[in-house]
Amino acid sequence: MAKVQFIKSADVKPWLAELAKEHRVFAPSYDGEALLFRPFDPEQEIVLDRAATMPPKKTIFPQSEKLVDFTYSKDPENLSRIKIDAKANLPEGSTVVFGSRPCDARGFTMFDRVYLSDKNPDIYYQARRKNTLFITLACRTIENTCFCNWVDSDPCDPTGSDVLAIPVNDGYLLESVSEQGEKLLNSKLLADGSSRRAEAEKICQEIAGSINNTKDLTLAPEKLLAVFDNMEFWEEVSAKCLSCGACTYLCPSCYCFNITDETTGMKGKRLRSWDNCMSAQFTMEASGHNPRPTKAHRLKNRVGHKFSYYPTIHGGVISCCGCGRCIKSCPAGIDIREIVLKAIDFVPAAVEE
Amino acid sequence: MKYQQELKDSIRKALPGLDVVIAWSAGYDPLHATPHFIRREEDIDRLEIGPFSVHNLATYLPGLRGKKVGIVVKGCDSRSVIELLQENLINREDVTIFGFPCTGVVDQTKIRKALGHTGKVDFCQIASQTVVIGAGGEEHKLRLSKVLADKCFSCQYPNALISDHFVGEKISPSAQTEGGDDLEAFENMPLPERFAFWQKEMDRCIRCYACRNACPMCVCRDHCLAESRDPHWLSQEDSVRDKWMFQLIHAYHLAGRCTECGECQRACPMDIPLLLLKKKMNKEIKELFQYEAGVDPEATPPLLSFKMEEENIKEREW
Amino acid sequence: MPVLKGKELRIVGFLCNWCSYGGADTAGVGRFNQPTDLRIIRVPCSGRIDPLFIMKTLMNGADGVLVSGCHPRDCHYAEGNFYARRRLEVLHRFLPILGFEPGRFEYTWVSASEGQRWQQVVTRFTEQIHKLGPAPKIAGPEASATLRQMEAVL
Repeated sequence: MAKVQFIKSADVKPWLAELAKEHRVFAPSYDGEALLFRPFDPEQEIVLDRAATMPPKKTIFPQSEKLVDFTYSKDPENLSRIKIDAKANLPEGSTVVFGSRPCDARGFTMFDRVYLSDKNPDIYYQARRKNTLFITLACRTIENTCFCNWVDSDPCDPTGSDVLAIPVNDGYLLESVSEQGEKLLNSKLLADGSSRRAEAEKICQEIAGSINNTKDLTLAPEKLLAVFDNMEFWEEVSAKCLSCGACTYLCPSCYCFNITDETTGMKGKRLRSWDNCMSAQFTMEASGHNPRPTKAHRLKNRVGHKFSYYPTIHGGVISCCGCGRCIKSCPAGIDIREIVLKAIDFVPAAVEE
Repeated sequence: MKYQQELKDSIRKALPGLDVVIAWSAGYDPLHATPHFIRREEDIDRLEIGPFSVHNLATYLPGLRGKKVGIVVKGCDSRSVIELLQENLINREDVTIFGFPCTGVVDQTKIRKALGHTGKVDFCQIASQTVVIGAGGEEHKLRLSKVLADKCFSCQYPNALISDHFVGEKISPSAQTEGGDDLEAFENMPLPERFAFWQKEMDRCIRCYACRNACPMCVCRDHCLAESRDPHWLSQEDSVRDKWMFQLIHAYHLAGRCTECGECQRACPMDIPLLLLKKKMNKEIKELFQYEAGVDPEATPPLLSFKMEEENIKEREW
Repeated sequence: MPVLKGKELRIVGFLCNWCSYGGADTAGVGRFNQPTDLRIIRVPCSGRIDPLFIMKTLMNGADGVLVSGCHPRDCHYAEGNFYARRRLEVLHRFLPILGFEPGRFEYTWVSASEGQRWQQVVTRFTEQIHKLGPAPKIAGPEASATLRQMEAVL
């Protein structure tokens, strides 16, 4: 049985301050005009009434992380032999992310299937994932770009979260989702919230009702494959794409990276940094050949991967959480929903005999 | 927009001779437009011009080289076209330019700031100087001047400087004073504050390079210094230094070429005030060489030429 | 031995091969006393200097950057320094927007025979940088670590 607690709005900051004694705490606050998950600072205003510009992706998947430090040394006996000492840099400590949205938290479940496979888990990801807890805030308002309901989710979806916070009139109803989440709910600032449950449920229903009409995407995987070789289709939908990485870097479910060794003298570090399939370099091969030479190829990959290839491998789960950031932040206003629907509705021109 | 129908007619006439015409159409909500590629007759109906036509469509031209392209331009966009022509990045005979008198475009960041949190946007009506936005079940009334892009206040070229088809009557530059001047205010800040300002602003850069890709004059495209490993100009670290350095690379590669269209700043998903750097660069170029980019396709850019005796460069007493 | 007492600062000089590098050499041969803060990078011509070299040097923590080439009209390649003059002047005027004191970067002309002049230029520039003190360093743990690493290599 999930633990249900209640917290008054005014107690949120003190509660976070309490949590910050044990964990690194991140909460959404403004940096310039961008709303970002930043280290909790009691002096700073926490903004919870709107979705953040950037999902809390960095908390588990840093923009750039040092995987390994290495040092070359010469063997004095045999100078042509060079020894390498390498030291892994495993992340330590625990993190609490407060105020993520259901879509944000659910995004990491797309990572999990890839990075936490039994065969070959990614130890860096694993270490952070295990020690990062999400106190997710159910949405009270819906934006034009929201479409979580298209991808089997909803504004109160607890998937991927440790605690689900549902905003009620004077505060938040906190429901534990995971065991680790339950441990977060032991503060004296919290009171039993069982009596507020009905109210919260009603709010969730109301919100779910206000979201854009859902679209059936079951045919997306096969329909996207059907237009795979239709470059005219892709050239048309990608015409306005600028090939920048805004959509991928703001995506809670995009997990691609690049590895770079940077060496100065005899010392160096191996870095893992975000990479994005919209960049021409993403698939550039050492020979100079590029299997995805144009933006049409690249956008096809992004949409295809999320709505076709990934679901085909991972039991039908679409690798998109419907947060709509790629739409909202695209400098050219590309709407991924439009592309998927276009592919689903696409009827190939009849071939003339 | 008054001249929309006229523009559509003009495009309809020219379309048979063109592969594509780039314009704008309605975007994902009533507060956004999106670039619109017109290939067929029926695409013309969706064309919309107005205060949401923010995108500088000239960015797409070099990528369409070899095709017959029509492009709809605001005054500021036309300067990018001129600059591209000057640098031989596009062929004049392949490009058909449709101009219209632009009365200014909005700044989405200003709208967002003015509305606070909106929730769903239902409608937006613009009548003379007032914008009425229906969002989150409420009506918000804003003065147009409150949400107009900064560049529009000091706009000297509201009509396309170069065009094959111009619809509507040419209008005179806005009477507002030069500047609107964030650069001047910034330059009055003490040096350590400026240094701190950039570090704070650049810290949130996610290196998506939207600034670069939206820039009509960033023409190295897939061969940018930023991603080169040899020479390794920039580290892959998530460091302010490298992010900031990239902006300096961008600003410097645009010295004497930037037309201040502001696409870098508009495209930035993190709202980093990048235009400030370009404005400063342009100001110095103008002072030193009396040069403004994107006005004359025949001009020689100042950093590609020199004078034996420079009027405005004083020999230092070193 | 540093001419200027106290802590040595990090000044990087970009010198053209034909005039200023020769000038510095002449100063050395003439045993003119010079401050030792300057590290020289020899380039073929002042026209070879991408202003971004200077920017990168400052961003990486140098306290000052000095560029020196042939006098105008004396360029080994006839017009390299004319182009350089424009670029460097623009950079000089641009730097303050970033918060760098304009005095952290200077450019000048020294011919191969001007050993004495080279001595004056170096001494004056070094004094100027010492007056400004160490340059502000870009925040972040990595910046100082990299600097230490670079120091170890040098």
